[in-house]
Amino acid sequence: MLKIPAPAHSLRFDENNQEFSIIGALRPQHDDDMRNCIEMLRDAVSRVRGTLYINVKRLVRLNNIAFRALASSVVAAATERSDLKLVIVTSSVVGWATKKFRPLMQVNPRIVVEEYDADFYPGQAFVEDSDIIGLLRTQTNMTWRHEQGILPRHGLKPGMAVADICCGIGDFAVLLHKAFAPGRMVALDHSRPSLDYARGVAEEFGISGIEYVYGDASEMLLEDNQFDFVTCRHALQVFDRPELILKELFRICKPGGRVYVTNEKNSHCLGEPRGESIQWTYNEVAKILSYFNHDIEIGPKSRRLMMDAGFSNVRMESFMVTNMDGDPQDFADIITAWRDLFAGKMSQMRGDDEAFTARFRQGFDDHIFAALHPKGYAGWPIWVASGTKPL
Amino acid sequence: MDSSGGKLETSSFSLLFELDMPIEGFSSNWAHCDKISTYAARMIGHNRRDSLLYSNLFSSAFNELLETVFRSHHGGGNFVCRVLRDGDTDRIELTIPCDEGLGRFYTTSVASLSDVDREEKYRAALLSDAPLTPGIGLMELAVDYAAEFKISDFDGRAIRLTTDLILEESDVRC
Ligand SMILES: C[S@@+](CC[C@H](N)C(=O)[O-])C[C@H]1O[C@@H](n2cnc3c(N)ncnc32)[C@H](O)[C@@H]1O
Repeated sequence: MLKIPAPAHSLRFDENNQEFSIIGALRPQHDDDMRNCIEMLRDAVSRVRGTLYINVKRLVRLNNIAFRALASSVVAAATERSDLKLVIVTSSVVGWATKKFRPLMQVNPRIVVEEYDADFYPGQAFVEDSDIIGLLRTQTNMTWRHEQGILPRHGLKPGMAVADICCGIGDFAVLLHKAFAPGRMVALDHSRPSLDYARGVAEEFGISGIEYVYGDASEMLLEDNQFDFVTCRHALQVFDRPELILKELFRICKPGGRVYVTNEKNSHCLGEPRGESIQWTYNEVAKILSYFNHDIEIGPKSRRLMMDAGFSNVRMESFMVTNMDGDPQDFADIITAWRDLFAGKMSQMRGDDEAFTARFRQGFDDHIFAALHPKGYAGWPIWVASGTKPL
Repeated sequence: MDSSGGKLETSSFSLLFELDMPIEGFSSNWAHCDKISTYAARMIGHNRRDSLLYSNLFSSAFNELLETVFRSHHGGGNFVCRVLRDGDTDRIELTIPCDEGLGRFYTTSVASLSDVDREEKYRAALLSDAPLTPGIGLMELAVDYAAEFKISDFDGRAIRLTTDLILEESDVRC
């Protein structure tokens, strides 16, 4: 009748991590249809000590027959094994899962339901800060001047199915949509405030063809092999496990399609006059970000990362946003926002002393000085890398 | 749950999806529930605020209704399934072949969904060892998806069950 594959699921037990994973769709007709799953779960219970993780992050569909069978064997395991803690790991992206599993916590205190992405990667609070929104907008305006010409060299053509993963506030997706008229455009991020803002931007510009999707880039629910061109900009560097995101970018890209990433190496920001102070400060930016688990130095490492992720025909180039691209004040505004974030909130959170913070700030002020100086030069280098998913 | 002042009374809905098939055909294969719910969810999800999240939620809710019908219908005739939309509200309209006894099952199930202890009843039913009650899907929709139901047109051979869902606001994500 309808061309959709029958409900399929896969079960996996990883003894090393004491993790039992259920992936896909579980909508059986009879209790009996759950036998295999339940037997495997029991077997997993018998092999672990301490804690068993039951991973349902990618269990997208589950009916009540299946839920009940799962629930009752989890409860039974908790009753029989008083030495065991059972942690059910859900994802907020699936929508119904946490609500469905959470009541099990009331049945037995050794059953714990955790939404793995509720308190997400270490830097999420920073990227959701409202000051960052203005910063990201000015940044994208300035990078777009360059990337508009760069993107076609990396394979972007009109009419393609495009995904912008970690889209932030979505203005890149809007610019791309206007300039390259994609056949389909999906923009995904794991920040609800950013996505709300993104929808507003699209509406304001009268653009209706962009699908905004809430999701974790390192564990997406988008299907395999869907997009001709997948972009991921300034994001591998804020997530603590960039290789997981690359693996997912690879997966959703069509064979023969290309993945395009941009990254920075902040310690290479530069300016004259006052070059030395500027350089000192940006070296410290790299250090403070690594303290918060961000690798802001990824830029030149992109080639290796892309090749390790399985891409072929990797192309790379770099460009420099400078105070001479249009209005120097725009660049000065970006630096001001960086100063307030890095030498402000982050420095405070790390517990830096006053003398350090003053010197840290000074480098940004010098960079602003260089940007606005009539004979000055200030720059922010960015690396672009793209690769083909082999056929 | 028949909220007289609510959406259920208005008719500014537009039709998004319709399926009309002999009930014997529908109930010949359990996989139809999953296929139809997933297909419809994908088809109507693309222009929602968040297409993927919406499709997951809609498919889950719709599937519970289809499984309920799969288990609880009677006699021959056509099973008609329509999905309509008015703004944030999605409406699923099912015409289910049934006799008087089953008509009563649907009517009483829906009526009991306005009980104050419906959530407790639902959670207890889910965790009990007794056979799963046939009304479980309706309970789930009322409790977890804040669905509104209405039953009409019982003519001795079929009833119409109307379900209204506001998925992006029902805070299913808790
Ligand atoms: C520095 S911003 C860049 C945003 C946008 N690409 C731009 O260039 O303006 C990084 C973005 O990555 C998102 N992000 C980081 N890790 C993510 C993950 N695992 N899944 C989804 N989004 C993620 C953050 O929410 C944030 O919006």
